[in-house]
Amino acid sequence: MLEIENLKATIAEEQVLSGLDLSVNAGEIHAIMGPNGSGKSSLAQVIVGHADYEVIEGSVEYQGHNLLELEPEDRAREGIFLGFQYPVEIPGVNNAYLLKAAVNAKRKHQGQDEIDAFEFLKLAKKTMELLDMDQSFLNRGVNEGFSGGEKKRNEILQMAMLEPKLAILDETDSGLDIDALKAVANGVNSLRHSERAIVLVTHYQRLLDYIEPDYVHVLWEGRIILSGDKALAHKLEENGYEWVRTTVSS
Amino acid sequence: MNQNSLSPELLQKAVHSLPEDNLSNMRLEAADRFSNMGFPVKGSEDWKYTDLSQIADLTSQWLNGSMQENAVDRENHNTKIVKSVTDSIDAHWIVVRDGVIDSDITEPHGTTIKKISAVNKKIVTGNDAMSVFNAALLRDGIHITAATPLKKPIGILYIDGPSSVITQNRAIIEIEEECQLQLVECCLSAGIGKQFTNTVTDFLIAAEASVNYVRIQDRDFEHTSVNRVNALLEKNTIFNHNGFDLGGALTRNDIVTEIAGKDALVNLNGLYLASAEQHIDNHTNIIHTVGPSTSTEEYRGILSGDSQCVFNGRVFVAEGADGTDSNQYNHNLLLSERAEIDTKPELEIYADDVKCAHGATVGQLDESALFYLRSRGLNLEESQRVLTHAFASGTLSKLAVGACYDYLTDLLDNRLELLVGAAG
Repeated sequence: MLEIENLKATIAEEQVLSGLDLSVNAGEIHAIMGPNGSGKSSLAQVIVGHADYEVIEGSVEYQGHNLLELEPEDRAREGIFLGFQYPVEIPGVNNAYLLKAAVNAKRKHQGQDEIDAFEFLKLAKKTMELLDMDQSFLNRGVNEGFSGGEKKRNEILQMAMLEPKLAILDETDSGLDIDALKAVANGVNSLRHSERAIVLVTHYQRLLDYIEPDYVHVLWEGRIILSGDKALAHKLEENGYEWVRTTVSS
Repeated sequence: MNQNSLSPELLQKAVHSLPEDNLSNMRLEAADRFSNMGFPVKGSEDWKYTDLSQIADLTSQWLNGSMQENAVDRENHNTKIVKSVTDSIDAHWIVVRDGVIDSDITEPHGTTIKKISAVNKKIVTGNDAMSVFNAALLRDGIHITAATPLKKPIGILYIDGPSSVITQNRAIIEIEEECQLQLVECCLSAGIGKQFTNTVTDFLIAAEASVNYVRIQDRDFEHTSVNRVNALLEKNTIFNHNGFDLGGALTRNDIVTEIAGKDALVNLNGLYLASAEQHIDNHTNIIHTVGPSTSTEEYRGILSGDSQCVFNGRVFVAEGADGTDSNQYNHNLLLSERAEIDTKPELEIYADDVKCAHGATVGQLDESALFYLRSRGLNLEESQRVLTHAFASGTLSKLAVGACYDYLTDLLDNRLELLVGAAG
């Protein structure tokens, strides 16, 4: 589904990805771990097409097509979703409005009719129940005055409504208390699907106790330097990131 | 005398051509005064950024009789506009065409609505040049006395031209003790072409009374208007104002509120949407003569194209007006690099125990919010539209007269669509 080869990218002329390779197939869950500043969020932003990042070398193929030439909105409509590390507050834009507009943008792109209002509400309410979210969130401004946990739940709500093929969740666990973490993990697990790939970007192993990954990668200075299964995450937790560096260089 | 003066003889002639009535003396006196004043000159203290020299020229031509009437199917246009407004906003409507008040006024119970010429009271003319000009050439105006609260708002629909090039509108509204009044004012054009409308509205708000006032200006893009609102508040009164300026080539609003009684509250809110070469100038002046009293103010502007807007918010706190609480904000969204906003708060405080806050922002659409929306599948233009709407919607949440909510939402939707489409 996603083939990244030798990806190099800069932001404000500073190199943040330096020859990254990654292959993700449908049905898989990948965890990308790494210390602060290793390029985890940069990778997520480059995949969804943030204009501040410039790709200077390498390729990203999504479902056999060059992803890098698509606008951010077209990537979304083709089924790529990013759960933001810091979801943006947009006062004055109703949460339900955005959800509906996003769902309809995708449906229109796929030649489908707009979603029926009743069907939309039913789906939204069902998903909110699963995420332990109060329905009043639908009528509030997008992320406006939401707590950290509420913002992350709101990201998962959007993900569930948009049914992406490739979901990237950037530090979805950061700043969550244990109840919020469980609710978010619950939501993500309910979205596991043989035709959907999920990439979890995380600093800590904690999230992986609730969402079990198929693969774990360690990102270091803009490259993946070590890959393994979920046991790797535990090893990282025990030994710290410095251990990876000595292991790889020896 | 200045370069914006009119010929005194021609002005006198125009005054004499109006019907002889109770207002004749006021007109003659005002014409005399105006001949010594002339139109405000750009660069003078209150008119730093707004230039009325074209209006001085237009008025001269009109007084000369050299103006061609702008030909348009007036009858048909008028009827359509009246119907579209009165169907959309449920109110007791008074229609004023080219400064002439429609004769079929029905007075709701507890409210008197008369022509100013029919009220036996001395009309107080302001001292500023535009109020004096208004008094000189006023055909007639509306006098409302509200004694009993009404379920529906009163509506004043000003339709201009094109049969009259220069129009004066005047309304005097007295709200008696403990009464509540809702007023909607719509200012629209019935045709296209160069025109000038000068409107003065006075509110006299007796103790314990309140006014909810919404003014919607959506005139033709060649139209110039100067508009003054004076509100005098006695003790324990409320004056809520929402101004919406969407149309016009050049628009100047002066909102002057004077708090003359304790515990009065003034809320001034405004939204201006400017595109192409539009010029919209909002001057507000809140005078706290006594305290404790409160005023809040929030004006929002969205500018695109080569438009230019001005916000000048003066708050004056007189000596001894202790307990004054005032805050004032002006937020501007610039959709084009060529658009210009000149924003200035002006605080003059002569009392000790006072809380005054003010702030102004000028900016573009938030890039991170734009990207967030695009990452959810909304295209760039749609994302811009959504964020622009969100910026404007803040003023609708404070709408003082609910009856015009739907009408305004439609109007704003259409206008914002154009604004975003024409941005850049």
